[in-house]
Amino acid sequence: MSGGAASAPKPLPSSGPKSLREMPHPLATSSSEEMGPALTPSPDLLLPRSIADKDLSLPNGTPVDTSSPASSSSLLNRLQLDDDLDVETRDLFVTVDDPKKHVCTMETYITYRVTTKTTRAEFDLPEYSVRRRYQDFDWLRNKLEESQPTHLIPPLPEKFVVKGVVDRFSEEFVETRRKALDKFLKRITDHPVLSFNEHFNVFLTAKDLNAYKKQGMALLSKMGESVKYVTGGYKLRTRPLEFAAIGDYLDTFSLKLGTIDRIAQRIIKEQLEYLVELREYGPVYSTWGGLEVDLSEPLEGVSACIGNCCTALEELSEDMTEDFLPVLREYILYAESMKNVLKKRDQVQAEYEAKLEAVALKREDRPKVPADVEKCQDRVECFNADLKADMERWQNNKRQDFRQLLMGMADKNIQYYEKCLTAWESIIPLLQDKPETK
Amino acid sequence: MESAEPEPSGSRPEEEEEEEEEEEEEEEEEDGALPAPEQPSAAMEDCLAKKMEITVSEAEKRTGRNAMNIQETYTAYLIETRAVESQSEGQCAPVESLWRRYSEFELLRNYLSVTYPHIVVPPLPEKRLSADNMDPDFVERRRIGLENFLLRVASHPVLCQDKIFYAFLMQEGGWKEMVNETGFQLKADSRLKALNATFRVKNPDKRFTELKHYSDELQSVISHLLRVRARVADRLYGVYKVHGNYGRVFSEWSAIEKEMGDGLQSAGHHMDVYAASIDDILEEEEHYADQLKEYLFYAEALRAVCRKHELMQYDLEMAAQDLTSKKQQCEELATGTVRTFSLKGMTSKLFGQETPEQREAKIKVLEEQIQEGEEQLKSKNLEGRDFVKSAWADIERFKEQKNHDLKEALISYAVMQISMCKKGIQVWTNAKECFSKM
Repeated sequence: MSGGAASAPKPLPSSGPKSLREMPHPLATSSSEEMGPALTPSPDLLLPRSIADKDLSLPNGTPVDTSSPASSSSLLNRLQLDDDLDVETRDLFVTVDDPKKHVCTMETYITYRVTTKTTRAEFDLPEYSVRRRYQDFDWLRNKLEESQPTHLIPPLPEKFVVKGVVDRFSEEFVETRRKALDKFLKRITDHPVLSFNEHFNVFLTAKDLNAYKKQGMALLSKMGESVKYVTGGYKLRTRPLEFAAIGDYLDTFSLKLGTIDRIAQRIIKEQLEYLVELREYGPVYSTWGGLEVDLSEPLEGVSACIGNCCTALEELSEDMTEDFLPVLREYILYAESMKNVLKKRDQVQAEYEAKLEAVALKREDRPKVPADVEKCQDRVECFNADLKADMERWQNNKRQDFRQLLMGMADKNIQYYEKCLTAWESIIPLLQDKPETK
Repeated sequence: MESAEPEPSGSRPEEEEEEEEEEEEEEEEEDGALPAPEQPSAAMEDCLAKKMEITVSEAEKRTGRNAMNIQETYTAYLIETRAVESQSEGQCAPVESLWRRYSEFELLRNYLSVTYPHIVVPPLPEKRLSADNMDPDFVERRRIGLENFLLRVASHPVLCQDKIFYAFLMQEGGWKEMVNETGFQLKADSRLKALNATFRVKNPDKRFTELKHYSDELQSVISHLLRVRARVADRLYGVYKVHGNYGRVFSEWSAIEKEMGDGLQSAGHHMDVYAASIDDILEEEEHYADQLKEYLFYAEALRAVCRKHELMQYDLEMAAQDLTSKKQQCEELATGTVRTFSLKGMTSKLFGQETPEQREAKIKVLEEQIQEGEEQLKSKNLEGRDFVKSAWADIERFKEQKNHDLKEALISYAVMQISMCKKGIQVWTNAKECFSKM
């Protein structure tokens, strides 16, 4: 049972929500029946904790940090985004840097240094530095998804398993991935619930993560690990309006972002082709300059000027490839994560509705609702609350990120044109002065 | 008005002549009596272009019958001329106008280049070989090109005084007959003869060889430049137009966003503006391409002058050779020795000696021929020297004109680029403003 519970969520992150919906009914019902008893205690264990972390934090006087992200986010709204603005209220800092290539007999891989600085009591030391590889990040994300099913887990950069298509060891690829991994951890760090997840803690601190991974399988499965909403079978009749709206929003959002991603890639492609031609164009003026006496200088000037424009264009394309595209990708994946959570929520609600219906059929006369149905209702409500809070947080982040991203794009283009402008303006005197001196 | 053609002034060495010439020009400039070909601005004072406004103002599609009595459609161009001498009085001279078609322009140019072999005759706009000769864009560009041709001829110090040219502008009927009456076609050299001269000429003038080489290089570099420029323009067009897609997506995306909506929507509008701005930019660049193209064709005109020189040189060499051989023959007869093996020597050996009377008569004939040949050689020498002198004067004028025009073209190209950069900065600054409000 426990083994099954541990392995069951594995298809979740990879094949996504489809596995839930497309799961054949006979199997689904049997599994839910089997898991029923194991699942029911889970809300007691898990949900109150997440509530305590968030909603109840203030009355309980729980650590300040849990409330601070909420206040800081509202602060952020007012003060325009700046990640460093709420430095004072922060107590956990994580960075990913220093990628290193490891060549073993079996495989070649990259590890990244994950540095943690913190004042939180959950950590024994104020500072940690560990090395992690992509797999470990992937493990962490899976664990978070399993243990915090009601929350939106930030996405990891794509795996790029297709070898040969991308050079996984190229400097650009590693750097892009490093940035994305860094962003991933920072997003978790900023999250009032996820940042307290124990797997996250282990990920940041464990000397030997692999050992933990192995023992963790057995140990954790007894506790919250078994708490999964792998219910299936229940079909939600109607999504509440607000969640239907979120769903619609996410669908359109991913669609539009996908288009923007394609446009951005196409622009980069066009720019590179333009660059190829431009690189041939400049030297032709130079060749011509070699033929001429009086025109030599102006023609060489034009040639050099086009050369400068080439450099500026190259920088623009590089910036767009390195800074613009990854953020778009992250948000496309983010929207997918969000959709997954939304689907899980639907499952939970469906389960609740089904149970409620069953109760209504059986005991029409008894107004009292059984305890497990009530718990089920709690779960739905908690899920809804978590989801809404995460969605709101995500919306804020998204707005700030896109403002920064798009302003960045505009800035890069302005800089590009400014460089070209300077280049062309500088040759005007070269072209004009000649006849005067003659 | 006197002929502006530099008069042959004795038979001094060429180098000296040139220096002398320049001195002369300065004098001429002060006098204002004769236009100096090397000073286009000074030359303009007296040339037709200053006395008359010339425009090709209209193009019209026409149908008529050609020489073979086959129906054909062609475009006729309206040439308008107006004398400007009464400018100071503020009285407007009446506008004279007549219609000419491209083939008539061609005839005019052929006439000019045959009649003035030592002049770099301005080229006509290209003769489109395929596709649609009635395409309005093509007709418009040709109209501008034809007008430019007329202005070039009208401002040329020598060509502007040609009667046939004047008649081309002023006299609609009977012009063709008038051209044909000049018998210029008889003077035209065949291509084959020119080719022959190219390969057989023994002592080509180094300056003309270099000039020919330069024309070849100029032609190849400009045609390369034009090809690459066209490709650069195509790519640039792509880069801009793909940005236009942002306009649509931003607008669609804005529909699902709350706070970000307005910013996105208006940024999308700026992207539309950006994409549309390339049309004007590239249209302007086409003008630059046409300016370069004129010089591509000028290279051919330059080569024509070189070719003519080669022909004259070849003629001269042939005459000299003929003279030498006659002199040798004469000497042989006089001394009775046969230095080289000849048929004549053989026959005399086989059939006995000629009588002294016969020999005397032959020598006399030969001596007459030698004298005639010497006269001819002398005149050819003189003619060649005159040709070199006047051709070189016009080439110098051409170089000045070319340097001036191309510098202007480069300046206007740079100005175009500057304005494009400024437009780019403007659009992206506007877009950034929108993004910042998100």
